[in-house]
Amino acid sequence: MPTASPRPARVARTAAALTASAVSLAVLTACGSSGSGPSAAPAAPGKPVSLTFWGWAKGTADVVAAFNASHKDVHVDFQQIPSGNAGGYAKIADAEKAGNAPDLFNVEYAKLPEFVSQGYVQDITKAVPDSVRSQYLPQTMGLTTLGGETWGLPLDAAPQALFYRKDLFGKAGITTAPTTWADFRADAVKLKAAEPSTRIATFFPDDPSTLEALSWQNDAQWFGTQGDTWKVNLKDAGTAKVAAYWQDMISSDLVNVMPSFSQQWTSSLVKGDTAAYLGAAWGGGVLKSTLASAPGQSGQWAVAPIPSWDGQPASGMLGGTTFAVSKASRNTAAALEFAEWATTTTDGIKARIGSGTSSAFPADPSLVPVAKSAFDTTFYGGQDIYGVFVAGAASIKKGWTWGPAMGTTNTSLTDSFGKLSSGGTLAGALDGAQSATVNALTGAGLKVTQ
Amino acid sequence: MTTGTTSPTDTAPARTGRRPRGRYGAPAALIAPFLVLFTACTLVPIGYAVWLSLFTEHRSGLGFGGSTTVFDGIGNYTHVLADHAFRSGFVTIGCYVVLYIPVMVALSLALSLLLDSALVRARRFVQLSLFLPHAVPGVIAALIWAFLYTPGVSPVVAALGGGLNILGHPLPAVVNVAVWEWTGYNVVIFYAALQAVPREVLEAAVVDGAGPLRTALSIKVPLIRSSLAVVALFTVIGSLQLFTEPTILQGAAPGITSSWTPNMFAWTAAFTNDDYGVAAASSVILAVAAAALSFVVTRATRNRPARRTETAA
Repeated sequence: MPTASPRPARVARTAAALTASAVSLAVLTACGSSGSGPSAAPAAPGKPVSLTFWGWAKGTADVVAAFNASHKDVHVDFQQIPSGNAGGYAKIADAEKAGNAPDLFNVEYAKLPEFVSQGYVQDITKAVPDSVRSQYLPQTMGLTTLGGETWGLPLDAAPQALFYRKDLFGKAGITTAPTTWADFRADAVKLKAAEPSTRIATFFPDDPSTLEALSWQNDAQWFGTQGDTWKVNLKDAGTAKVAAYWQDMISSDLVNVMPSFSQQWTSSLVKGDTAAYLGAAWGGGVLKSTLASAPGQSGQWAVAPIPSWDGQPASGMLGGTTFAVSKASRNTAAALEFAEWATTTTDGIKARIGSGTSSAFPADPSLVPVAKSAFDTTFYGGQDIYGVFVAGAASIKKGWTWGPAMGTTNTSLTDSFGKLSSGGTLAGALDGAQSATVNALTGAGLKVTQ
Repeated sequence: MTTGTTSPTDTAPARTGRRPRGRYGAPAALIAPFLVLFTACTLVPIGYAVWLSLFTEHRSGLGFGGSTTVFDGIGNYTHVLADHAFRSGFVTIGCYVVLYIPVMVALSLALSLLLDSALVRARRFVQLSLFLPHAVPGVIAALIWAFLYTPGVSPVVAALGGGLNILGHPLPAVVNVAVWEWTGYNVVIFYAALQAVPREVLEAAVVDGAGPLRTALSIKVPLIRSSLAVVALFTVIGSLQLFTEPTILQGAAPGITSSWTPNMFAWTAAFTNDDYGVAAASSVILAVAAAALSFVVTRATRNRPARRTETAA
């Protein structure tokens, strides 16, 4: 056999090539993971309903574990996702569009109207009895009721509060926390005079929610509805006053301008370059866990009511989270069973606060004592911080409504805040956000007045 | 050039029934995975993006009744092209390219000329260390640099007296990350081109009395001009895709807006503003721009050798 016909070799080559391609394709397809969508099929009798849930609120894993341990009929599969604006909302929106969203997810009050109008959220009006509805603080229930229907169950109210370093304030000769914004500015000057590197607080250029809460506190109403028309007004007198005040604080170099919860911010807290934090009830747990390993912080922090314009208690709401059921979920009853348990029962709240990382203020006011006894206040020198939050919650101004395109509104504000160091102003940022929001709403076919 | 040419008919095989299949079977089988993946991962998504870009979401009343998808023709395209933020993204890319390419090309050229000269000891080691930053994923690199830029955290800023506010100047901050990532990679390309420079030309230069510097600038650089051009053009095209580094740095540098580059504009439209139509339209426009540039590059690189033989003749 001196010369072999080329055919067998060619056949072998072809076979080898085919095998190689088949193998490479198999390897590639194997790389794709099989995602788990909403558990569409109702459970067989005797087997627990399996429920998928995405969230990021502090202590949620502990709540889910406690629920699963005490419930035989429903099993919750919890997946921790990044917080809303850090990518969580994008993840939920994508999953809703792709049809593999979880049954239940967390969404903040500010984002709920947008998710509802995108069609991601199930109308749960009929599934929530009045007896459950009446357990929540009316302001929080108001924010989950849109167009007369109920779209979510509130987890926490988020009354504003001032977290401050007693030692730094004391060193500057300040004995009591500021009660008015005029005091706050005077204290800022004193702190800077006592220690030139110290600023009283931080303006977060990456997160407009503090400015929004402060506007809310000053009776601003950025959004409202008249019949089927949206009213958008980011430039009312209340907002203008707040914006002018913070513009002056920034221009006079009385506050730091740093991204929220960034390394830079944390480092400035640790060094004592930032003496206070304008937060909300949930911030107590966040601040405590952020500074847990930093020396010389525990016991130095205290909580005071947020300053107001006239010295009378007044608060907006800064953040705050709800539970919403996916439009496509077929496990509404089980999802609501878990959401109600997590928000309105002693065990649910105890599990969350007992995790040590959450100082959420329960939207169900009757559970505040539970939260209070479950939260370890060593970091705040044993202060009754929930006492401050209760007073704050009672002073939350009524009538605020979040807009249906807060993603656009907030992106516009954040982009403009980024230019504060290069000549931008807060008033200009509000102008830009006003027109961006109005354009987004009219572009989506909604009626708008200004 | 006339000798040795054979007319195609001389070599064309007699087409029997079975031969073509045998002949094309192996190439087809080898190309199939590429074609399948190219179709599934490139053509289909592009087609889907074009499809998405023709629709918009419409709502009625207060909008809480959910939305309906309606055909909008080129409405998304006119919207995107009229958007100041989108166009300013291209301006950012332009400024980025103007700052980045000269710095990066000059640096890699200088380093590769040094590597090619007799001056460098431990050549392999130096080459590897230069290339190493390129092996670091862009996300990690941006995180590291964000840390190094942040005052109060960074040892570099502290060493420079703490007054350096590089996060307030996003463009140089991002360019610096890109230079760090890509210089070593392009050193490899330039060094390979330098190795291909004919030795007799260099010997002739030495005989004519050219020193190392003169040889480098007057002989080597002109001879690897085509590599320089290719690297520059590919870098321009790659720059259109700028996304990872500024997106990561955004967390530390608020001056980087949500629509700082065209890719970031598309991302924000899709995932913050929930407007997939606008996101798709802006992506398609970006893809067309990149395709046009790529076309120019392929034409330019294909023509170059032909032109050189012309001038040589």
